[in-house]
Amino acid sequence: MTRRLLNPDQKRGLIGSAMLAVLILVIVGAYALWGESYQARILYATFVNLIVVVGLQVFMGNGNYATFSHAAFMGIAAYAAAICVTPAAVKALSLPDAPWGLNAFEMHPLSAALVALVITGVIGALTGLFMSRLTNVSITIVSIAILVIVHSIFLHRTDIFKGNQALFGIPRVFGLGHITALVILAIVAARLFRESRLGLRLRAVADDEVGARAMGVNVVRARMIAWVVSTLFFATAGIAYAFYLGTISARPFYFNYVFLTVAMLILGGLRSVTGAVFGTLLISLGLEIIRWLETGPTLGGVKLPEMLGLSGLLLGIVIVGVMAFRPHGLMGNREIEDIVFRRKKTTEVSK
Amino acid sequence: MDYAAQQLLNALSFGAEYALIAVGLAIVFSIMGLVNFAHGEVIAFGGYSMAVVGTVVTGNPLVLMAAVLIACVSVSLLLERVAFRTVRKADITTGLLTAFGVSIILQNLYLLLGSPRPISATQFIFLDRTLLIGPVHVSSLQIYETVTTIAAILFLTLFLKRSYLGIAMRAASRDFQMVRLCGIRANRVVATAFAISGLLAGLACIFIMARRGSVTPHMGFDPVLTAFIACVLGGFGSLPGAVLGGFILGFLEVGVLVLLPQTAGGLAQAAVFLVVALLLFWRPDGILTPATEKGDKL
Repeated sequence: MTRRLLNPDQKRGLIGSAMLAVLILVIVGAYALWGESYQARILYATFVNLIVVVGLQVFMGNGNYATFSHAAFMGIAAYAAAICVTPAAVKALSLPDAPWGLNAFEMHPLSAALVALVITGVIGALTGLFMSRLTNVSITIVSIAILVIVHSIFLHRTDIFKGNQALFGIPRVFGLGHITALVILAIVAARLFRESRLGLRLRAVADDEVGARAMGVNVVRARMIAWVVSTLFFATAGIAYAFYLGTISARPFYFNYVFLTVAMLILGGLRSVTGAVFGTLLISLGLEIIRWLETGPTLGGVKLPEMLGLSGLLLGIVIVGVMAFRPHGLMGNREIEDIVFRRKKTTEVSK
Repeated sequence: MDYAAQQLLNALSFGAEYALIAVGLAIVFSIMGLVNFAHGEVIAFGGYSMAVVGTVVTGNPLVLMAAVLIACVSVSLLLERVAFRTVRKADITTGLLTAFGVSIILQNLYLLLGSPRPISATQFIFLDRTLLIGPVHVSSLQIYETVTTIAAILFLTLFLKRSYLGIAMRAASRDFQMVRLCGIRANRVVATAFAISGLLAGLACIFIMARRGSVTPHMGFDPVLTAFIACVLGGFGSLPGAVLGGFILGFLEVGVLVLLPQTAGGLAQAAVFLVVALLLFWRPDGILTPATEKGDKL
């Protein structure tokens, strides 16, 4: 029997991710035409978040688990890339006490990124040995454990990571063009993963683990591969973050960031890549508006008071509201092409 | 010897606090499968109501303790009614994420209406005195804490074994549908679970406030995270498991602090979490999990 290169679902997946890519390009184009320069930073941050959320979708969405460790993997990759790429002369200043000759070499950004990806992937595989064998609530707990362990190592080894102080002097080699390409790549990759045999198996496990096992799905293997793939997404985001900002510290790679990205995924809908993209864009837009309100602007002649905590409040309300009224998120099980074209054969789409 | 006795008491009192919170989480989970992340915010609410009652009404510690307990129970019941009733039939992940959202909302409300800085409420500090028993220096708070926890667990056991509602709750943790078919109101069982959980949170709040003397929006987060881990370690939904897990974590924490060299003090939490992860690898469903087959509840 000859195997076709792509089955119909995967073809639809390519069409769908192409549509999402067009959406991303439209946003970038709009910025290029009318945007102001400070908005480049916001757009870049949104795109980094987008890569993370799409990566979350790979494991958390397809498998329907709640995991909170992605900020840790992002941090590992960001630090690894930063330490590799920063010129030795700068490192002599910023990391004078670094052990193992960490401050005595420098690399090309590309090889630094590769090293960071490999390191994160290996750590992902090691933690994956645990994650793939655990069950629901334990997965959440162990992911929190990973987050806390990595964060305390960042804070403790100030000679390598500088703790809460900034690690500075990272060459700023990335711009909006790079991140746009990466986002599109991430969307296509995540979508193809979702429609691949592994993605299908993982979704089957999420629906009915016993049934999936009975059909011959190797649950541990499916979880393991998805877990490692998703850590690579986080690594990419971390590297992009370090290469754009030029300084990193341990603080952003912790619970607050985890809350933010999880809320984005939930709003869009765990099960679909389109949902991940829409959720990220909507929440990023909402937060910008809220941030503006938080500073106490003058609106129609009325000076509004400063309101700290409003953005967090919004995130919480989004999560609770979505869970109560649309437990499967805005998109549910649908992808973008399901909205644009009807499916020919009526398969069961939403619950 | 004195040192060992002192550390033992430290471990017991830490363990008692975690157990108190962990049982509050477990009792809700055993009945409706909800991982109540917002438990820490219930504790913080107790702290805030203490600060308000303490400054506006009276500083009498006994009245304040009652106020804290009432506040925690009522906010716990309110959360059940407003937020968690809608997700009662949903799967674990949905419930967990909802609770997570509620927790963020409450934290930010405290931030918005209260203050990001600590608000002092020192009326319970008097509980914490240093006693000298033989050669050992002992904090009276630690003794109160251990004793209260043991008493609370005994009362809870008695309630669950002897009272009508308690038996209904134990039955509900096995098979909720069957309990409803026997003519017991689901809402009453769930509400009781939340009330008990709130009461335990209130007790924990009193001890936390006695130690800290101030209240911040995030004060519940760390203890509840630890208690949550205690629950999972003991076997989620099992009450003896929650108590066991709480005490294991208490001993682990003190053990790690004693054994690790001073320079590695910052890694204590990491070491505790590492041990927990290894324990979970050994028994993914916790130590005292009731043995249920997967796919049993169809």
